Amino acid sequence: MENFINLILDPLNALFFKFKVFMPNLLAMLVILTIGILLALIIKRILVKFLAAINFDSWSDRKGFTKLMRKGDLWSKPTAILGAIVFWMLIIITLMSGLNALQITAIDQLVNQFFSYIPRIFSAAMILIIGHLLSGFISRAVLITAANSGFHYAKLLAEAVHTLLIVLILAMIMEQLQIAPVIVLAAFSIIFGGIVIALAIAFGVGGIDAAKRIIEQEAISKREEVNDEIEPL
Amino acid sequence: MKTSTFRTDVQEQLERIGQADIIVGIPSFNNARTIGHVVRAVQGGLAKYFPEYKAVIVNSDGGSSDGTMDVVHNSSIDDFSAILLHHRVSPISKIAFPYSGIPGKGSAFRTIFEIAEALDAKACAVVDSDLRSITPEWIELLVTPILKGGYDYVSPLYHRHKFDGTITNSIVYPLTRALYGRRVRQPIGGDFGFSGSLAQYYLTKDVWQSDVARFGIDIWMTTTAIANGFKVTQSFLGAKIHDAKDPGSDLSSMLYQVVSATFELMETYSAVWMPIQGTEPVPAFGFEYTVGLEPVNVNTARMLNTFREGLRNLGEIWLDILGAGDFGEVEKLGALSDSEFHFPIGLWAQVVYDCALAFHQRKLPAEHLIKSMTPLYVGKTASFILEAKDMGQTEAETEIEKLCLEFENRKDYLVRNWK
Repeated sequence: MENFINLILDPLNALFFKFKVFMPNLLAMLVILTIGILLALIIKRILVKFLAAINFDSWSDRKGFTKLMRKGDLWSKPTAILGAIVFWMLIIITLMSGLNALQITAIDQLVNQFFSYIPRIFSAAMILIIGHLLSGFISRAVLITAANSGFHYAKLLAEAVHTLLIVLILAMIMEQLQIAPVIVLAAFSIIFGGIVIALAIAFGVGGIDAAKRIIEQEAISKREEVNDEIEPL
Repeated sequence: MKTSTFRTDVQEQLERIGQADIIVGIPSFNNARTIGHVVRAVQGGLAKYFPEYKAVIVNSDGGSSDGTMDVVHNSSIDDFSAILLHHRVSPISKIAFPYSGIPGKGSAFRTIFEIAEALDAKACAVVDSDLRSITPEWIELLVTPILKGGYDYVSPLYHRHKFDGTITNSIVYPLTRALYGRRVRQPIGGDFGFSGSLAQYYLTKDVWQSDVARFGIDIWMTTTAIANGFKVTQSFLGAKIHDAKDPGSDLSSMLYQVVSATFELMETYSAVWMPIQGTEPVPAFGFEYTVGLEPVNVNTARMLNTFREGLRNLGEIWLDILGAGDFGEVEKLGALSDSEFHFPIGLWAQVVYDCALAFHQRKLPAEHLIKSMTPLYVGKTASFILEAKDMGQTEAETEIEKLCLEFENRKDYLVRNWK
């Protein structure tokens, strides 16, 4: 009979022991989550106030970030969006740290994988920001130069350059995030090569008349330019 | 900011010369065809009008490959009696060497300032190397107000074809005049006289990595002289006729260099120009006379096409710079036919002020901002040419005067919005 009672009590004892060991971990996780959420809220508030003080919204308008956000159906102020991004990043980090406190092997591995992935997310974000600024700058330079030369399709040319650069940047980001790198590389090569071949065919075969016209116009305007004798300075 | 280190041979020449009263600088780049005439005119002027002064001609070259510097060394007046000169003529030293720094007229001038400082010159003059209309009298007119009149800066006055100097007439002159209150008619004329002390003052400024090192040098010299209270005057030099310009020269780059230098100066001297109201004339030397000018070919149809293509392609950028009101007015111009086309002067003054404000607020990178305005400038120029085609020189000048008054009347708008 004693044996039978032991058979019932031993697992309960073991369970109680495991629970006793686990309880501090659970408490630690709850404390980490509470403090983390509070900290995230405070940091978000400070950040939003700081960004408002340095006129981040106006800067974003000037640099075209606001326009980019609107294209992506984001209608809040850039300050609020950045505040929300930082807040949720801190929440995710808090959550991962909290889960880590539970000291469960499977979760530990997941958390380690997450933290080793953070540098990739960071560099992808940098590629996105710098790439956006650079592609905007280059396509605007192309637009202005082409328009000043009297080129009729200046806008189209600038859009084409912008699209090519965006495709290149997206491929770089995907490669950085290790999202199906082989497929991304293949898709990028196909899309990029395809665009170039399509342009070559469109200009060389389909648009042979347009090409002829453009080249003739160019030659005529060059001849006229020599005849223009205004001294601007 | 002084960083001058001359090449050994130049240093030796300077040591041999020791000191000079007058320096005449000639910046050049591949001007072998014309520089000989300029050097002879300068020599003639120095010999005829300043025989008692020690003078040096400095050719600051941008690395010409056509033998420009050889021409400078070999050019001299063989028979001084041909220019009615019979008194003793002391030899005039010549220094010709390639300058260092960013390639451009400004870097060439910087070297001339450094030589003026090294030789402790009392008066200096600079003249373009592609001039066909320069005479020995130009040197007298540019140097005498400095040596004998107590002035620090002499700006040129020319008779030019009514269609020439369009950046000067439609932007730089009206804007500079409205801002600083002095009517300097050719602020970017290219041929100037200045005192040795002003040359030394120029060298204290750290601007030689900016557009001042290129075409921005002329407006920088004039504005720096006016804004810092140096005594400024003008001299009537007659006709200004250049060698045929390089057809490959890029108008938008030229516009960018001149206008960005002007706008940068607005930043530097905002405390000077903001309180100034109205304008006053600047005294002028020289005997004004009428000259026959070479006809100038223009193609207004092509210019108006550039304006319309600009409106079609750059409309969004212009809207950002000009705001909805002024852009709406510009948009209306796009619908006008060639014969009806007229760019109102009031609208043009607003466009230039909007552009200056956008530059001040850093709405766009400076180069994009100013270069994107090229078709607008071309449209304004075409409008002026269409209006002035049947006008005489005086009537055309009256039109420029009206534009200047428009800039002056609207200056409040600029001051109010300059935050």
